[in-house]
Amino acid sequence: MRRSWWRWALLIVVILAVFIPSQVWLKQRVTKYKSSYKTPLAPTIMVPGSSASQNRFDTLITQLRKETKKSHSVLKVKVAESGAISYTGNIRQGDNHPFIVIAFENNRDGYANINKQAKWLNLAFKDLVKTYHFNHFSMLGHSNGGLILSLFTEKYLAQTKHVTPDRLMTIATPYNMESDSTTKQTAILRELIKGRSKLPKKLTVYSVAGTENYSSDGTVPANSVNQGKYVFQNQVAHYTQITVTGDDTTHSDLPQNKQIVLLIRQYLLKETLPSKDRVPTTKRSQSKEADEMGLP
Amino acid sequence: MVRLFRGLWCVNQRVDQWRAMRAIHEALRVAYPFILVMALIDVVGQGCLSKSGFFFQVYHIGSWLPGLEFWRDILQAVSVVVNGLVAVMIAFTTGHYMARTYHADALTVGLMSALAFLTLNVNYDTFGQTSHGNDLAQFWMPNLGPQGIFLAILVGLGVGWLASHLMQGLATWWRHHRHTSLSWTGRVAWSLTIVLGATVGIGYGLSWLTDGGINDLVYLALQTLNTNPGHNGLRILLVTSVSNGLWWLGLIGPIDVAGNSSVTSLQNLAYAVQHGSGWGAPHAITLHTLGDAYANFGGAGMTLALLIAIWIGSRQASYRRVATQTVLPNLVNLNESTLLGLPVLFNPILLVPFVLAPAVNIVLAWTAITLKLVPPIVYPVPRTTPGPLVAYLGTGGDWRALLLSGLCLTISVLIYLPFVRLLNTEGGADHAA
Repeated sequence: MRRSWWRWALLIVVILAVFIPSQVWLKQRVTKYKSSYKTPLAPTIMVPGSSASQNRFDTLITQLRKETKKSHSVLKVKVAESGAISYTGNIRQGDNHPFIVIAFENNRDGYANINKQAKWLNLAFKDLVKTYHFNHFSMLGHSNGGLILSLFTEKYLAQTKHVTPDRLMTIATPYNMESDSTTKQTAILRELIKGRSKLPKKLTVYSVAGTENYSSDGTVPANSVNQGKYVFQNQVAHYTQITVTGDDTTHSDLPQNKQIVLLIRQYLLKETLPSKDRVPTTKRSQSKEADEMGLP
Repeated sequence: MVRLFRGLWCVNQRVDQWRAMRAIHEALRVAYPFILVMALIDVVGQGCLSKSGFFFQVYHIGSWLPGLEFWRDILQAVSVVVNGLVAVMIAFTTGHYMARTYHADALTVGLMSALAFLTLNVNYDTFGQTSHGNDLAQFWMPNLGPQGIFLAILVGLGVGWLASHLMQGLATWWRHHRHTSLSWTGRVAWSLTIVLGATVGIGYGLSWLTDGGINDLVYLALQTLNTNPGHNGLRILLVTSVSNGLWWLGLIGPIDVAGNSSVTSLQNLAYAVQHGSGWGAPHAITLHTLGDAYANFGGAGMTLALLIAIWIGSRQASYRRVATQTVLPNLVNLNESTLLGLPVLFNPILLVPFVLAPAVNIVLAWTAITLKLVPPIVYPVPRTTPGPLVAYLGTGGDWRALLLSGLCLTISVLIYLPFVRLLNTEGGADHAA
């Protein structure tokens, strides 16, 4: 009788020794799956520069559609000064890499306006996440659009839990506004540098500059674009600066510049380009994305 | 019911009288200690040291055990030798005991049968290779492990019969025609030549048909029948039953049940991650959510329930011993040692619950999931997770799933129990002798 009592006790001890740690393990695993899970839907959010409407990227998108085999659908969003959001176009069912262009009724230049636009962008962004349930995305900003996206990423993105940006590409974005100076910082640059520690650590940033001559693309000084390094360098996973010269490199032509379209396809949309079109700057492994799922 | 049992008992008695059956029993009895050691090594290797092992993950063994790689390599080495060649051992022992029943030279015939089994699994593709490009093994290694047991038994029986007769026949023939007696070497050499000639011929002929040795042919045929049973509960039931029947024959694992990474499982996982639980997952009824979760405790045939039934109801000392020795491997779903040790293989009485218990569990699980009493399992679990915990952990810790697992285990024990009791009456003659 005593022997069987010992056996039962042993059995219970063994069961508990397996059961309790497995309970802890279970919790960890479920959280891990939740945090490493990526939705198939990963839109590219495009923000145009000052004085531009939600149709600013039409030429670019037409060009992209022509060159890529996948036809990305386009959703255009306009945020009014009141914060009211209006949509045109739609995300096609089954299109996992749509473009979402977000523009603002008040699209004027200047520090105060850009800050307001970042806040409006946040409103639209929250609404999009609520509607489409994506948890990662990429960003493309032209000119001041890059400033709006940078500000939004630093100041507001954390409000939306569990959504992380993969890549940000800014085209001719004047991080130091119109200033050509390499020492004097304008208000917006100061603000961006102050908040840079809030940038997501896994973000990859590309800053593309165009130059007509040695110092500017006709509107934005090359020095101002270069100041972006004080915001991103050593803060995000990768920060790459690219300068494009040649035909169609005036400020407003840049989004449809052939070289930049290729850069967008290769870096932002992560397409596998035919080798003749590939920009031979950095080596990157195409398969990395798949590994991040973290599944057994 | 009583008549059924009496019928089964008669079948069992009849089958036990067969020469082949007795040879198989003896062969498995000799191979059992080796297989037990292998199974215990596998428990440590696959369950505790492998990165995907249950205990490795649960106890975070990687973070506190020094020299992890070293231990892994050591166990791997032992496992490769013992586990990797278990079928060769069984070919030897089967041939040996078969020859013994004919009063032939048992040791020689055993060796012949092991060699014959190996010739059937030669990889003919390697012969064209240059000596430097050493990238292919000369044998189909997987076929020499547990997978090859069925073929090994067949070869052992065939060669045991053929070689025994050859050796005796040759001696008689020689005496008649040459009027001298054939030397022992001559008898062995001639028989070996004929046996190997036959098996090499078969093996070479088959190498034109398939890329994976003779075993592969059988497995391929079965796999095409069964790989994707889809969402149909009835088909899942059928596939599991067929699969378990094949295990009983020694065709171990033709259908890979552990489908953690299949497309449907990944979609279920994606759903669960987004919605917080498995309720309403897109693929609630699959082989994985039914079979792996509720009908695979201890491995194919719910052998964990068999062990418990033996503890409760068996008076056979050998059964009780095997049950106690193999409980650890059964906890991590490695039940080869139980199947070969009892043996469950080719045992007509145990075939019934071996197929019936998992089938009943699948019906239970199907009912419970369809009536939305439990959610389907959605999170991947290690293959070596103790059976009754699979559903609980796979659903992300749902108590109802644990309850259903307990119910499944109890019912399986109840299904096994009468058959185990029936076996109590066996062996008066056999075991005493």
